[in-house]
Amino acid sequence: MTTNKSQDSLQQQLQSLPNSVQPNRDLWQGIELAITEQPSIAGKSKPRSWMYGAVAASILVPAVAVWLSMSDLSGPAVTGLDSAAVIAQLSEQYESQKSSLLVTYQDKPALTDNWQAQLTELEDAAAAIKSALKHDPNNVALLRMLQTVYQQQIDLIERVHAPKWQQI
Amino acid sequence: MTVGQGNVVDATDAFAQQQLQQHLQAAIQGNVQAYQHIYQKYVGQVYALSLRLTGDAALAEDATQEVFVQVWQKLENFSHKSQFSTWLHSVTANVTISYMRKQRGWFHRMFGLESANEQQITASESLDLSQLDKCILKLPERARQVFVLHAIEGYRHEDIADMLNMAAGTSKAQFHRARQLLQEWLGDDDQ
Repeated sequence: MTTNKSQDSLQQQLQSLPNSVQPNRDLWQGIELAITEQPSIAGKSKPRSWMYGAVAASILVPAVAVWLSMSDLSGPAVTGLDSAAVIAQLSEQYESQKSSLLVTYQDKPALTDNWQAQLTELEDAAAAIKSALKHDPNNVALLRMLQTVYQQQIDLIERVHAPKWQQI
Repeated sequence: MTVGQGNVVDATDAFAQQQLQQHLQAAIQGNVQAYQHIYQKYVGQVYALSLRLTGDAALAEDATQEVFVQVWQKLENFSHKSQFSTWLHSVTANVTISYMRKQRGWFHRMFGLESANEQQITASESLDLSQLDKCILKLPERARQVFVLHAIEGYRHEDIADMLNMAAGTSKAQFHRARQLLQEWLGDDDQ
């Protein structure tokens, strides 16, 4: 009896469930930017996703190469000194790529207003991880987190300036 | 409702339908302003479905934007054999699930954490949601997706199984799990 009652109650609430929920922010600005940058209706032009892919690959390939050299656990153990050198190289490559991207997008409008605050948060996170790595240089989880946070920064810069909208 | 009132409703519906067709035709020709009208009319529906599927307000916003960008690119594919809203809901469900899969896949690849698909309800507290919606957002991801697709969107378990890469039996089991949890939570709220 109780089960029937609760089933009925759920059914009633389902039937009166609103068809619409309004988001907290206006999403149109980002959509408009994306569709006017990539007018692919009726084959007018193809999305320039290959350009973003090329930029991403140029960042990712060296980073992954460094990462693979770090994470090859079958080889000799990475010493603290080696690890520090690898982290420095990774950081240097990333900073170079980030600067290059920021220069590329400096005249392009951003999709959100607070992306720089988000970037600062990620930079703070990277600094905290690097600080932890100084005390524990062979911690693979920390190394992965650092690489991830670096990649998140690149993704953020790209996403707010050139969203990679995908096909259905 | 009197016959007169019925005629007014029919006329209003017909007018709205005609307006939509005009906006669709204009949008297919590349008219962004016309597409904005379509966005304004349907953003609430798309966001509601994305929110229910993702359980995450911020992720639902991103997915909603992706839906409207992809719909713009694919408007020509709309065959007019079904209602536009029906087609839009179908695109929304597929794009949102695909979007979630990509997000989760990326997270798993980077961190290898099993908890990556755990729901992270962000900013949903500030949304004006019904009690049932609040409970739906609390459901485990698989159970939530199945429940939303079956109970709200009307998909068959066989179709859900294809969409979510699971067996139809699993879809049914997840649906029963979701229903039980919702009944339990809603019952607690009533007391």
